[in-house]
Formats: sequence, C-alpha cells, structure tokens
Amino acid sequence: MSRDRVSGLAWLAVALFAAVQGLSLGLGSLHRPGPGFFPFWGGVALGLLSVLLVVRPPARDAPDAPRLAPDTARPFVAAGAVLGYLLLLEVLGFVPVTFLFLLLLFRLERRGWAFSAASAAAGAVACYALFQLWLKTQLPTGPLGF
Amino acid sequence: MEIFSGVLYGFQVALQPINLLYCFIGVFIGTLVGVLPGLGPAAAIALLLPSTFAASPVAAIIMLAGIYYGAMYGGSTTSILVNIPGEAASVVTCLDGHVMARQGRAGAALGIAAFGSFIAGTLSVIALTFLAPFLARVTLRFGPPEYFALMTLGLTLLTFFARESTVKALMMAAVGLLCGTVGQDTISGRFRFAFGIRTLEDGLGLVPVIMGLFGISEVLLNLEQREQQREIFAPPTTGLLPTRQDWRDSSVPILRGSVLGFFLGILPGAGAIIASFASYAVEKRASRHPERFGAGAIEGVAGPEAANNAAAGGAFIPLLTLGIPANAVMAILLGALMIHGLQPGPLLVKQAPDVFWGIITSMYIGNAMLLVLNLPLIPMWARLLRVPYAVMYPFILLFCLIGAYSVANNVGDGIVMWVFGVVGYLLKKFDYEGAPLILAMVIGPMMEEALRQSLILSAGSFDIFVSRPIAAGFLAAALVLLVLPLVRRKPLPA
Repeated sequence: MSRDRVSGLAWLAVALFAAVQGLSLGLGSLHRPGPGFFPFWGGVALGLLSVLLVVRPPARDAPDAPRLAPDTARPFVAAGAVLGYLLLLEVLGFVPVTFLFLLLLFRLERRGWAFSAASAAAGAVACYALFQLWLKTQLPTGPLGF
Repeated sequence: MEIFSGVLYGFQVALQPINLLYCFIGVFIGTLVGVLPGLGPAAAIALLLPSTFAASPVAAIIMLAGIYYGAMYGGSTTSILVNIPGEAASVVTCLDGHVMARQGRAGAALGIAAFGSFIAGTLSVIALTFLAPFLARVTLRFGPPEYFALMTLGLTLLTFFARESTVKALMMAAVGLLCGTVGQDTISGRFRFAFGIRTLEDGLGLVPVIMGLFGISEVLLNLEQREQQREIFAPPTTGLLPTRQDWRDSSVPILRGSVLGFFLGILPGAGAIIASFASYAVEKRASRHPERFGAGAIEGVAGPEAANNAAAGGAFIPLLTLGIPANAVMAILLGALMIHGLQPGPLLVKQAPDVFWGIITSMYIGNAMLLVLNLPLIPMWARLLRVPYAVMYPFILLFCLIGAYSVANNVGDGIVMWVFGVVGYLLKKFDYEGAPLILAMVIGPMMEEALRQSLILSAGSFDIFVSRPIAAGFLAAALVLLVLPLVRRKPLPA
C-alpha cells in the first residue's frame, strides 16, 4: 500500500470522527450556523480530500513504505523521554527530572557514565538558575524542594 | 506628514534603552537560531514567548520580531560554511554559497549575504513604513463579510504555494480548521472536542502546537540519522568586504530579490522559503551565464539572501494592517500581541501607535545591529557549529519542555506539545507540511466568527458575500486559485 493511502485512510478516520462530533453538537441552519457547523463541514472537507488521496493512483516515483532510516530507535527513545519527563515533572520536581532526562539522552548517545552524569547535573542546575532564579519561571518543585 | 511623525515617534520608542536592549537580545538570539540547524525561528519564538510576559508589549514584540529577521541573517552562515541550511529559508544559499567556500571565497559569500540581507531588510522596512499605514486606512472599512472573504482567499493562497501536493496542503488546512474549533464555542458556549480535559477546554494553545510541530518533530526527524562528521570551513577573518566586481554582479540581484521577497512575504503561505527559491530561479534565468549557477555564482547567494530578508519584512503587512498572520511566526506574534491586550488589525495604528511604529522602526535599528554584529562574530558562530548535535538536541528538547510548561504552569500544554511533536514527525515522514495546519488553526476561529457575524448582519442571507464588491472580488479570486491547480498539475516550479 502506498504511503499516501496509509495516511489518507488515517485522516479519513479523523474526518469521520470530526463530522460525527459536529453532528452531535448541532449544525444549526445554513443561515444560523450552530457550534457543530465548522467541525462538521471541516470533517466533510477533510474526508473528501482523504478519499481523493486514497483513490488517486500513486505517483510513479513514490516509494511504498515510509522512508525508514537506519537508526529508527533514537526518535522513539527521545519521544519516550519527553513524555516521561512530562509525567514525572510534577512528581519529582524540576531538577531531579531534568537530571534524569539529560542523563538518559546522553547515555543514548553513548557518552560515558561520568561525562553523562556530570553534564546532566550541570545542565539541570544551570537551567534551574536560568529559568527559576533569573527569568522567574514557576518550575515545579518535588519532595526535595527543587 | 502623518508617516514622518509616525516614524519619528517610532524612533523615540525604539531608541529607549530598554527597547534597544530587547532589540539586541532578539537579533542576537535570532542569529543564533539561524546558525544552528534543527531549530527554526517559529519554534524559537514560541519557546521564548512566555519569557516576555513580564516585559512591556512594545519590548516583547520588538524582541520576538528581531528573532525572526535575525534568523534570516544567521541561516546563511551555516549554509556557506557547512553546506547544511541553518534555517529553511537558506536552503538555496548552500548551492552557490558552499561552492564559493570550497573555492576559497567564503569571505565574499558571507559578506555579500550579510550586506544583501541588510539592504533588502532595510528596503522592505521602508516599503512597510509607507504601505502599512495606507493599507490600515483602507482595511478600516472592512466588515465581517470582507474579512471572511479575505481569510478564505488567504487559506486558498496557502495551499496554492504548497511545495508538496495541493490535496495534502488542503487536508492540512482542514485539520487546522478542526484544531481551531477545539475548546469552548464563543457563541453557544458549548465545548467542542474537549472530552472533559481542562487543557482542551481552553482550546489548543498555539505555543505548544508550534513547538511540537516545528521543534520536537524536527529533532525526532534529525535523530534518525547518525551524525556524520561535519566539515566546517575555517571562517575567514578578512576579505568579508565584497569587491567592486562582487558588487557589480550582486547589486541588481539584491534589488530584484528585495522586491520579489517583499511581495511574496505579504502573501500567506509564500514567505521567506518560497521567496529564496523564486529569487534563485529568477537570477538563473536572467543571467547571461546560467551555467555559473551551482558553480559558485555570487548572484546565487546575493539574490536569495536578499529575498528571504525582504520577505520577513513583508510578512508584517498583513499582521499589522489586517490582524491576519501570513506564516507561523506571524501567528505567534499575533498571539503575543493579544496576550498583551492589543488587537492587531487596522485599528492598531490608532490604538497603540507606540507598538505599531515602535516595531517598524526597531527593524531599521535591528538590521543595522545585525550587519555590525554579524561579520565580526562569524568565527564565534563557526565554533558553535562544532558542538555535536548529540549534545545539543537534549537541550533543545528540554527548552521546549520548559517553554511549554511555563505557558500556563501546568503539564497539559506539554502533553499537547508532545502529541503534536509525534504527529508532526509522522506528517513529515508522510510528506505533509505543517504550515497550512498552523495558519488554518489560527485563522479558522476568526473565519468562523466573521462568517457567523456576517450572517447575523444579513439576517441569514449569503447574498452579503456577493453584493459587497470587495468581498465578492476576494471570493472570486479564491475560486480561481482553487480551480487553477486542477487544470495545471504542479503549482509552482520551485
């Protein structure tokens, strides 16, 4: 299946969902649009375009599968680290989470333990100083108080 | 003369020490962002927006604007010395700029890029100075029907300039419209697509969405490739001043690039990237020796670098006169103005002349700062490029996380950023562009409001869009643009 078809089908699902939501919100009349008017017609437009993308013959030079790069694990680990950071931020506090986050990513980049730990600690403290102390950003504190 | 008193007033505002400082910080960060590949101006401005909440509106906008046009300067340095575009609008600069560096003419390339940027930036600010107040007076008479029609035209233009496929660009615009409906409906008060989640009830935040689409996803994409050893040309410390021959070759391309860039910058969706490609194509066609292009032609650096800077100036026109953003960066500036309690649009020049004239005149000062700053600092930027990406990207991600958190001091916006980061990564893998999504997301709610207000005005009749000549004209133009790509298959030979 061509890449356009895969993504087209995914968007078709999104479009159907939006249109159904729009219907349940109430379209209003053409002359007095209700809250569901834009979601519904936006969904319909997206749906029609997705169908067009799916049925259209794929361009001859289009490769079949998404371009898979040699090193596909790194984006996943990084995306996971970002999500983990968000989930733990208000539990552990800014400095510990930032330390763990940087440590993980430096280790992912195959830096040595000593370098990773030192840089992560320095980075976390520097960011704390920059954002909390200087720019007065309200960063979450954990059980340790920072 | 109204304009001259305005400019004078603007300089009084922009020359205040605090505003000068913000302007300097803006253009400095902008150059840095431009130099560093993998972090573009849109993500950087979104990132720094929360840190300007405490500043005055003038200072905040002056700084954020400085980041934008500063990035246009910085991008060329990386293109020329490393053959990697520091920023998307400098992609074409690699073609001839890097070849010039290989030929030992890095100094001339860097010099002409800086001077071309300065000349074009200044010319486009001059055009902005004269055109913006005039247009603001014209658009003052626009009512909801004209706005609705104009925004429809804007969204169509956006897809017309799409680099990949028109269908996909239209799809992204539709997705953006849907994203724009998330949150509480202002007219009925009902929640749309909120699913009882607090963060979504307030609507999708522009800052986390942009940081996700243009920041996080970019990093994820870059991570797919193991870093190769970058070959960085030793930055020249002398020979940055273009010779008389260089000037002879470059002056017309710079002027042409300025005009082209300015007008493309005004159009929604066209912007600096298209302007730089268009300028390169024009110069190659106009040249008597087109075979020199790609082999180190200085015109191939001068024209596009002028065009992308001029486009950055032109992009302010729709923002300042209509309150409609022409690109993702302008969308954030629109948000920034509104956060500071200002309503961008034709009334801005009357209601907040300090902001209107302060921003415009700060750009004269900023461009001058960039020229003075840039050439001596090139060795420093070059050293920065030696920092491996493996050390840099954890910090880019971290800054995005802190930026998203500090918008509202909760994790919700961070999650939104993460979702759009992952979605943006997939979009890029499947050849979709993020820009139409962002613009439609910002313009969508304005369009919806204008449509509903128009229909209230006309008591429900759609005749209002046809009987008012300006609105009808915009809609007719939009229709033509929609049909045209169906006749011709590929929209732009970019």
